[in-house]
Amino acid sequence: MKNTSLRSSLQLAVALSATALIASAATQSFDFKDPKGVNNVQFKLDAPLESITGTGTGISGTVSFDGAAPESVTGRIVLDTASLTVGNPLMGEHLRSANWLDVAKYPAIVFEVVKVANVHAKGAQIVGDVTGRLTVKGVTKDVTVPVTFTLLADKLGARLGNEKLKGDLLVLRANFEINRSEYDIMPGQSTDKVDEVIHLSLSIAGAAPRA
Amino acid sequence: MKKTSRLSLTLRVTAIAALLAALGLWVATGSHRGWTQTSKVIQQHDEITGIDYPVRVPGFVAGVEVLAGGVAAAAVLGGASLFTNRRRTASA
Repeated sequence: MKNTSLRSSLQLAVALSATALIASAATQSFDFKDPKGVNNVQFKLDAPLESITGTGTGISGTVSFDGAAPESVTGRIVLDTASLTVGNPLMGEHLRSANWLDVAKYPAIVFEVVKVANVHAKGAQIVGDVTGRLTVKGVTKDVTVPVTFTLLADKLGARLGNEKLKGDLLVLRANFEINRSEYDIMPGQSTDKVDEVIHLSLSIAGAAPRA
Repeated sequence: MKKTSRLSLTLRVTAIAALLAALGLWVATGSHRGWTQTSKVIQQHDEITGIDYPVRVPGFVAGVEVLAGGVAAAAVLGGASLFTNRRRTASA
């Protein structure tokens, strides 16, 4: 009787350990500092003569993702504000100045994942509404962003041109809008010259190498 | 018969040259109806991830302010040519 109880306890312990191992193996940490420099955020603001469009490429951060449990995703993505560029040099100076993004004082835009809802599969992709804390120019607001997750298993080596390198890739895509006034970017000012709504388009890939 | 002074003629030729130069530059760089750009964006595609990404390369694209500058310069030079010609006619 005692032996049976001990055996059951051992079996349970082994099962729990195995589950924990599988879970930790399935959740991968993806590094979004892309060596190929492909990761980008594009922004667009409407203006009378032409839309102001630009790109940010200084992206870093990590995201923990499990393809079997995508709702458990955590992580943060950081954009280096100095990496933001526009085609017109004067416009670029204004963008980085204290009135607009104040790049010298606020060198990063940060998005930190809080929770994910409405997760569902869409073909080979997973779609979900990611709620997180977005910090721009020192102002933090909760935003909900529809994000598409694409897990590319065993594609790291092919991407970096090194077949010996084993690992997975996670591609995140999101399109959303924020209001510049809410983030202390010239609030209520120059609205006749530059729209208050900033359209953002994010396309980033993270890598999780395997030993 | 009314004669045009050499200065006046030079100003008019310069005005036309400034207008044509601005117009030519604007057309040659793509007739861009926005502001002047000192870099161009070329869209690239990453095969593995499927990400489309912009690559910014140096390149001059004349905007409407270049065109407007050419028109303004031509107007000033043309106006000055009329003024100098009138003064000459009055003094003759």
